[in-house]
Amino acid sequence: MKRISIDPITRLEGHGKIDIFLDDHGEVANAYLQVPELRGFERFCVGRLAEDMPNITNRICGVCPEAHHMASTKALDALFHVDPPPTAKKLRELFYSIFYATDHTTHFYALGGPDFVMGPDAPVAERNILGIIKKVGMDIAGKVLKMRHDGHYLIKKIGGRPVHPNWGLPGGVSKGLSEELRVEVEARGREAIEFAKFSIQLFNDIVLGNTDYVNLITNDAYIHRTYNMGTVDQNNHVNFYDGMIRVVGPDGKEHAKYESKNYLDYVAEHVEPWSYLKFPYLKKIGWKGFVDGEDSGVYKATPLSRLNTADGMATPLAQEEYQRMYDTLGGKPVNHTLATHWARLIELLYATERWVQLATDPEITGETYRVLPKETPTEGVGSVEAPRGTLTHHYWSDERGVLTKVNLIVGTTNNNAAINMSVKKAAQGLIKKGVEIKEGLLNTIEMAYRAYDPCMACATHTLPGQMPLEVTIHDSEGTILERRTQNLD
Amino acid sequence: MISTKKPKVAFFDFAGCEGCQLTVIDTLQSHPELLEAVEIVQFREAMSERDEDFEIAFVEGSYSRPSDKQRLNQIREQAKFVIALGACAHIGGVNALRNAKPMQEVRRTVYDHRADHYEAGKALPIAAAIPVDAFIPGCPIDRHEFIRAVKTLLQGFLPEIPDYPLCVECKLRENDCLYNRNEPCLGPIIRAGCSALCTTFGVGCEGCRGLIPNPNIESLKEVMAEHGLSQSMIEAKLSLFMTNELKDFEVVYHGS
Repeated sequence: MKRISIDPITRLEGHGKIDIFLDDHGEVANAYLQVPELRGFERFCVGRLAEDMPNITNRICGVCPEAHHMASTKALDALFHVDPPPTAKKLRELFYSIFYATDHTTHFYALGGPDFVMGPDAPVAERNILGIIKKVGMDIAGKVLKMRHDGHYLIKKIGGRPVHPNWGLPGGVSKGLSEELRVEVEARGREAIEFAKFSIQLFNDIVLGNTDYVNLITNDAYIHRTYNMGTVDQNNHVNFYDGMIRVVGPDGKEHAKYESKNYLDYVAEHVEPWSYLKFPYLKKIGWKGFVDGEDSGVYKATPLSRLNTADGMATPLAQEEYQRMYDTLGGKPVNHTLATHWARLIELLYATERWVQLATDPEITGETYRVLPKETPTEGVGSVEAPRGTLTHHYWSDERGVLTKVNLIVGTTNNNAAINMSVKKAAQGLIKKGVEIKEGLLNTIEMAYRAYDPCMACATHTLPGQMPLEVTIHDSEGTILERRTQNLD
Repeated sequence: MISTKKPKVAFFDFAGCEGCQLTVIDTLQSHPELLEAVEIVQFREAMSERDEDFEIAFVEGSYSRPSDKQRLNQIREQAKFVIALGACAHIGGVNALRNAKPMQEVRRTVYDHRADHYEAGKALPIAAAIPVDAFIPGCPIDRHEFIRAVKTLLQGFLPEIPDYPLCVECKLRENDCLYNRNEPCLGPIIRAGCSALCTTFGVGCEGCRGLIPNPNIESLKEVMAEHGLSQSMIEAKLSLFMTNELKDFEVVYHGS
C-alpha cells in the first residue's frame, strides 16, 4: 500500500497533515487529515482563575481571538450566574459583527478566495490576493485594505487592545461606547455595507458569470450530504453572537434545537487512533464512520451550514442574497462545499448590516454596561458562531472561581470529519493509477478543505502566501519513492 | 527614502498564535513607506519567496522544542541583529504556563501513550537558545513601538524600550488607580510602553510586557493581599505571563 502525505506547516506549533493511502491498484483507499498539536490550553488552565479565561483563550489564535474572547466571556456569564444588561449584549454583538466583517474579508480576498476566483489551474504566482487585484483592478486593493484597517481600528477602539481584546467581563464589558465613537462606528459601518455589496457583485461577475466555475461548484467531487449546525435567533435567522443551536438534516428538516449549555446531550466526540483532533458527531444519530447521509452523525458548521440551518437572514440585503443563492443552486439545503465561499459573502453582508443596525440602536451608548456577579460560581457554557464554526467554551470551577475543568470545542473541530471526507473524495476523484502527482492536484485537494477555512491553514496563508505542502509517496515498505514540496520551510 | 542598498529583513516564527506577525502585516499595510526602506527577504506568513541572506531577523514565538535550537542557531549566525518579537519570544508568553506543570503529564494529557512520538519541551524565551540583541515586548506587540524599532535599527542603533513601570504611563493618562476599585493590577512591576492600554480600559495589567529591572515583587504581593487577594490568586495573576521570569530564568542579552 502506498501512502501520500500532504504536510502543511501550520501555526500553533503543532501541524496538520494529510495522509492519502493507495490500494494495490493505485486507487485511493483512505485519506486522513491529522492534527498533532501541543499547546495544552485545556490542561494548563486548570487551577487558574476563571475570570482570566477571556484573556488567556484569546491567545489560542491570532487570527480569530475575538471569537475565543467572546465565547469565554459568555461562559463566564454562565459560570458566575449573571445576566449582562441589554447595552452590554448589544455592544458585544456590535463588536462581534465588526470582527466578522473583517475576518470574512480576509478569507475571501487573501486565504480561500484567491484560488477560487482565479481558478484552480491558475499559476501559483497568480493564485493569491495580488492575482485578484490584477484580475479586477487596482482600486479593489484600496477597498480591501480599508475594510481590514477600519475593522481592526474599531476592534481596538471598542475591545481595548488590538488582536487580543481585553474587554469582556462576566456580566458585561469593561467600557461603554461614547457618542463620538458611535458616530464613527456608524459611518464606517455604512461604508462596510457598500464594500460587502461590492464583494458580492465581484463574486457574481467573476465566478457566477463563468460556466466553468459554476460547474466546479456543482461538481460531484465537492458535494457532501451531511447534517448542518448553526446558531439561530428567535425567528430562526442566522445569528453569530447568541441564540439557540439548531441542527438540520441533509434533507433540510430540523433534527434538533437546543441551548448551547446542553451541547453534551447532542454532541459526542469520536476518537481515531491516527489523530489527536477529535471528531464531534451528533449523539442521537451516532458515529457511523466517515460517511454522509441521514444515518450518519457527521455534521458541518460552516458559513454554508449556518445558512442551511436558518430560515433566513435577519437583515434585508442579506436576505435577498440568501434567497438568490438558494434559487440559483436549486433550493435548500445546499450541499456543495465550494458554495461555502458564496455563503461567506452573504454573511459578510449580514455582518455589516447588523453592525449599522446596532450602531444606530438607541441603547448602544447606554451607561449600564456591566452588572457585578454576586452568585457563587459553579459551571458555565458559552458559545458563539466563530467564522469557522460553532465555538463552545465549557468551564467548571470551585466556589472561589478557580477552574477545575475546561472543555473547548473549537470551530474547525466540528468540521473535522467532513473535512476528512471532502479530502478523501477529492483525492479519489484525482489520484488514479498512472497519474502523475502534479501541483494542480495538490491545490485541488487543498481547495476541498480550504473552503472550510480551517484554522491550521489560514495563518500560513495570509497574504500572497501559498500553503506550504509536502507530498511524500511511500511504497509498501515505507521507502520514499517521490517527494514534492512547495513553500516549505 | 533614498537608499542605494536596503537592509535585508527576515521574519521567523516559532510557537505562538502569529498575532504579532499579523500586527506586522497590518503595520506594513498602513505604513507602506517601511517597505521602501527595507527589503523583506523571508516572511512565511506573507510571502512565498525566501532568501537566506539577511541582516535583521525578527523572531516570533517561544522556543519550545529541542529541534528549534538548530534553526535559531542558523538565524543567529546569519543575522547582525536578532530581535525577539512579542511576549512569546521575549519571555515565553502564555505558552509558558505549561512549564509549571510536569512536562510528561502535559504531554500525556494531549498525546496519551504516544507522547514520545511528538517533540515537546518547556516554552522558553528565544534568548534561552541564542543571544538576542533586543526585544519588542507585548502580547501582541504595539505597532508604533515596532515602527520606532525598525527606524532605530535602520540607523544602526538598538531600539530603546522603556524600563520604567506601567504606572508612569497610567498616571500620564490620568487614570484612577485600579486598586481603588479593588481590581488587581501588575502595573507597578511591569514595563511601560503600551500607553497603559488595558488599565485605561478598566482592566488590570496582566504583565504581557514583562518585568521592569529590579521590580519590587514582594511589595506588590503585599498590596494585592491588602486588597483581599489570596496567596493562590496572587500567584495566578503574577504567573500569567511571567512563569519564566519569576523562576529567575536567566536571559542573556548581548550587544548594547
